[in-house]
Amino acid sequence: MKAIAKPVTVFDVYNRAKTGPKVEERDWDFKIIPQTAKELAEKYGIKMDKKTIVPEDPELIEKLWQAGLDMLVTCGVYCMDTGRVIKYTRDEVLTSIASAPDHFVFGEGKEAIQVVPRAYNSPKPPIIQGGPTGSPCSEAMFLPNHQAYAQEPIVDTIVDGVMQTVMGQDPTPGSPWELMAVHAEIDQVREAMTRAGRTGMGL
Amino acid sequence: MRPSDAHEVSQLNELKIDVGALVVGAHYALTGQQVMVEQMPIFGGYAGGLESTTIVGVATTLNSFVMLQATWHLDGPVHVRWGITTAREALAVAGHISRAVEEHSDVILGNQYYTLAGPCTVMCLLETAAQAITDTISGREILSGVASAKGVSTDMFTAMEARMMGEAAYAVAGMDLHEVNVILDKLVATYEKDYKTAPVGKKFQECYDVTTLTPTEEHVKVYEEAVRILTDLGLTYWNK
Repeated sequence: MKAIAKPVTVFDVYNRAKTGPKVEERDWDFKIIPQTAKELAEKYGIKMDKKTIVPEDPELIEKLWQAGLDMLVTCGVYCMDTGRVIKYTRDEVLTSIASAPDHFVFGEGKEAIQVVPRAYNSPKPPIIQGGPTGSPCSEAMFLPNHQAYAQEPIVDTIVDGVMQTVMGQDPTPGSPWELMAVHAEIDQVREAMTRAGRTGMGL
Repeated sequence: MRPSDAHEVSQLNELKIDVGALVVGAHYALTGQQVMVEQMPIFGGYAGGLESTTIVGVATTLNSFVMLQATWHLDGPVHVRWGITTAREALAVAGHISRAVEEHSDVILGNQYYTLAGPCTVMCLLETAAQAITDTISGREILSGVASAKGVSTDMFTAMEARMMGEAAYAVAGMDLHEVNVILDKLVATYEKDYKTAPVGKKFQECYDVTTLTPTEEHVKVYEEAVRILTDLGLTYWNK
């Protein structure tokens, strides 16, 4: 009897990062990735027309899926710290995809939303996550700017910006001020949601 | 952060990771957090051109769910020359990745927005609309943005771009794919010739009243002009 496949864990991944095949990073970047992708495009006869931005041809969609799956199984993933390649089997990839969440709840209380799969032709619109997506934001404008997003009725959840100073200090990465800035960002986004009457929105 | 928020960890370009990200992933796994794994494949970078970047993008998307047990994957194919996600090639890569993955799984996919033009400009809103349309008709579940003016300048972003992201998505949800592709082709053509002269735009505090948190009259007029262009291209959302 065949064993039931189980998804890979991040702990399995770390172990493979210590034992996988050694590769030079420049070979990965300049040979392995571009050459494998090119070979797979040729193998499957993939040709895209950039005037058709979203593909309409089911055969092309199928080829891209197969080529992408082959790409991950053939190459694996390079760990920069160990200089080794983390490899997966095809079964492991497919099992992980099959066991990935197909829904989740984003946010809390009355602002909680259900995120569920939607098809390309679904009349159900996607979730709108409004915000500056990691853009730099001045300390003075952080709260009002994020409140402006929270008060847009079409916005479901918030993606925040990065505070440039906190209490006037530079939040240098790795310093205590970095932690202070991260806490200040979260506190002020929550406050922005509350001021907009939307306490509980997902972040 | 609450368990119901999205806890971020990023892959690296292309198909790379560092141990630090694995440690973050282990913390999320052990504490039962909802995990958002981000990665932006580069068109014109290590992967190469349109087809090979898309193939790498599909592999990268799958890897989020294998390596880091993502709750959802946040994409963002980016153009190597312009550093934006709204260029035609970046949109095509995103649209093809999403259709390929969505057709074969029920995983949750998002996309993030980096425009070339800055806030309070018609070009910024049209770039935003083009990506929102691409993401919606390729089956993505979450649209995340907008980092206007490439997301590199302080306070150069406003909620009006998010409003356009939402309204453009609502405008095309459920429309015929081919019909939308024709509109999308024309829409991208309205701004792609202007990359070298893209308007810088205005800071939040220059195009919003920061006390009442309402857009200035100028900003509203710019928005209305973008809506007029989108309506002329065939979107009926704003006529209803």
